[in-house]
Amino acid sequence: MSGSHHDHTEFPVASKVSEFEILELAVRELAIEKGIFSADDHRRFAEWADGVGPHGGSKLVAKAWTDPAFKQRLLANGTEACKEVGIDWLQPTGVGTPSDYTFFYVLENTPQVHNVIVCTLCSCYPRPVLGMSPDWYRTPSYRRRMVRRPREVLAEFGLHLPSDVEVRVHDSNQKSRFMVMPMRPEGTEGWSEEQLAEIVTRDTMIGVALPAVGRKSDTSAEAIAAGGRG
Amino acid sequence: MAAPKFDIGDRVVVRDETTLFHARTQKFTRGHTGVVVEHRPEWVIPEDEAFGRDEDGRKEHFYVVRFKQKELWPDYTGFDVDTLETEFSERWLEPADQGE
Repeated sequence: MSGSHHDHTEFPVASKVSEFEILELAVRELAIEKGIFSADDHRRFAEWADGVGPHGGSKLVAKAWTDPAFKQRLLANGTEACKEVGIDWLQPTGVGTPSDYTFFYVLENTPQVHNVIVCTLCSCYPRPVLGMSPDWYRTPSYRRRMVRRPREVLAEFGLHLPSDVEVRVHDSNQKSRFMVMPMRPEGTEGWSEEQLAEIVTRDTMIGVALPAVGRKSDTSAEAIAAGGRG
Repeated sequence: MAAPKFDIGDRVVVRDETTLFHARTQKFTRGHTGVVVEHRPEWVIPEDEAFGRDEDGRKEHFYVVRFKQKELWPDYTGFDVDTLETEFSERWLEPADQGE
């Protein structure tokens, strides 16, 4: 069997280096050469960004569910209220992270309104509270289709909302960043803040899923493969 | 700084200007009518910020405008209640329903 025949393995699309990644590398190297920031600055920022995760957001929601006064502060001034759970939007860079230095707003879901976030212009995302965005959030198909056919996209995530619930799409096209505060599900009466935080997953704070008792993680390609359904 | 030109509740039309420069005003909103639902802090407009004028760029009020999805997309497949919110600097908005 020839080597070339063996090489028929198709690599997943996500492993290809995109033009955007090449552009990022080129701009980054230029910025380092010009002394705008150092390679070490970049490494430290990348480490920070990779380590954030959605836990800050989960904590904000769980705290708001159990503490009405905190909920009021969170809805009134998201950037300030974040400090109460140890998230400072101005750290670690002092002027905020690139593209994140901005104004943070928490969108409260109600029985009448379901919020969902997208950025049609690039991939703006509340990284200090949700960590790095999932790959699909940055794809042109999510960005284009969420503003145009939100109910179809939500249905693809398994979320079907009745016709009397307003689906409200928030396009993060300027300085504001958003996070969805889902409604507290039934069956969680008496739960601790820590227990509640476990069911507030990343997807529920983007608005493409609803929290549910017993669901502690978002569906991912890895989870499907591990479950033998892939 | 001038007072905000629009109040919450005002109906506004997004101006249909050139796409040649960096504006962060999406094509799909241009020419469409919505309602101002939030004020945002004054900020250097993206047309200047994109060219590094963080300090001396023109500052304007920003507004969140809510659109009915069926107003944005004639072939919208969802329901009448559905909406979309997005933000504009003041220069991109004009009062709707003038003369009524």
